[in-house]
Amino acid sequence: MTRVLIADDSETILLLMRTRLEMEGYEVVTAADGVEVIEALHGPDPAPDILLLDAMMPRKSGIDALRELRAEGLETPVLIVSAHQDKMDAGAPSDVEVSGFITKPIDFELLFRSIAELTGDA
Amino acid sequence: MLTGLAVIGVARFLQQRQDFEDATARSYQVEIAARNRLAAGTNPAASRTTILAQQRQRQVLRDDIDGETRDTALLVGAGLIAGLTGAALLFSGLIASMRRPLEELVEASGRLAGGDLDARVTVGGLSETATLGAAFNEMAGELQRRAGERDQLETMKDEFVLTASHELRSPLTSVQGFAELLMLERDKLSPKQADTVEIILDNTRHLVRLLNDLLDLARSDAGRLTIKAAPTDVASLVEDAVRTMRSQTEGREQTLRQRIEPHLPQVNVDRDRIRQVLVNLLTNAHEYSPPGASIEVTARHRNSQVELAVSDDGPGMAADQLEHIFERFTRGDAGLTQHVGGTGLGLAISKSLVELHGGTIAAESAVGQGSTFRVRLPAAER
Repeated sequence: MTRVLIADDSETILLLMRTRLEMEGYEVVTAADGVEVIEALHGPDPAPDILLLDAMMPRKSGIDALRELRAEGLETPVLIVSAHQDKMDAGAPSDVEVSGFITKPIDFELLFRSIAELTGDA
Repeated sequence: MLTGLAVIGVARFLQQRQDFEDATARSYQVEIAARNRLAAGTNPAASRTTILAQQRQRQVLRDDIDGETRDTALLVGAGLIAGLTGAALLFSGLIASMRRPLEELVEASGRLAGGDLDARVTVGGLSETATLGAAFNEMAGELQRRAGERDQLETMKDEFVLTASHELRSPLTSVQGFAELLMLERDKLSPKQADTVEIILDNTRHLVRLLNDLLDLARSDAGRLTIKAAPTDVASLVEDAVRTMRSQTEGREQTLRQRIEPHLPQVNVDRDRIRQVLVNLLTNAHEYSPPGASIEVTARHRNSQVELAVSDDGPGMAADQLEHIFERFTRGDAGLTQHVGGTGLGLAISKSLVELHGGTIAAESAVGQGSTFRVRLPAAER
């Protein structure tokens, strides 16, 4: 089963995403900020197949967390989920490899297709 | 020194002239008195002698003044030449000392008018030019300060719209997401519940559209609405927009036709943005026209431009309405009487987008005659 890690500082959005993803048959791990994302990846649980990170989170943003993880050699595909309408506003990182952007409100059909393509489940 | 000489000369000349005139006046008075005595018959011989003596005296005076006048004239001439040379030198110095600051002022004014708010002049020289220079600098400083304040306000407004849009988007994500979740299990809802959720979804989508439009406009105002232009095939662009609208127009039994001239040149555009414009025009035609109406998109080559036109045979607009159609939050009358999903911002955004591509957008309409919107875009160079 494909494991998806989702990080968002809104519990409601985490609940929404978890529900939709689980309905689609994904196994879901959640994190409330960048610090928890790093903890989850350093923890004993099996590594996720894809990360969905909110661009702006308190303590540590998704992009900062990703920068650290990439420096450690993480190669997992990552989708940045942002409330900003386009990459420029989301502060698209030029120094970190990102697989794609998903804007809020989330188009779940588009999200499912992107996950399937990036994890090779398509 | 030379000027002093001229002044002395002129003063001396004036004094001699005065002396001569006084002496002549006195001589005339004596002569007139002698002539009166002669006329009265008292001592005619003495009177005649006096008259002749006075006439001779005046002649002497005249000869005298003539000689002195020559000398004085020479002196005055030399003085005048010297004085004028001095004055010329003085004035050329004065003009030079005024000319440089004035030239600098003219140059700085030009730069200021051209938008260079850093333009300043060196304050100095004569007190008049110094005052003028200082006044100019003060004015330029004030302009710069106001422009700075305006820019700061603009930036604050842009930041506010961006932040507000961001903050509103998160709760909207939840509302839309959970409503969609409910609709996934529509068969478990009563028809009334399903209708209610449908209304929540419709309104959420409308809010999202409004937010996106407001954000586009704020970006456009801030000069941050960017386009990524690339040579684009017009036919596929039009077909794409028509395909997007097909299910909606069919839902109201409207006919949607496309007429694309063969061998059209490409246009150098941001495909997504021009598609957004076309979909916007088609959406308006669809929403403002009654069921069964005809909507047509045409594409043709006109001079060095490609014209995309969206026409409908809907209710059309009156001239006073047409005049304001590209302004924000302006809607056709139909918007008040029937369900129209637009935000009132679509045409304002379309105009910004088309103009960003170096193109034009115009509307033609009359009540009962339908409407036509023409977008003209520069053809890509081959």
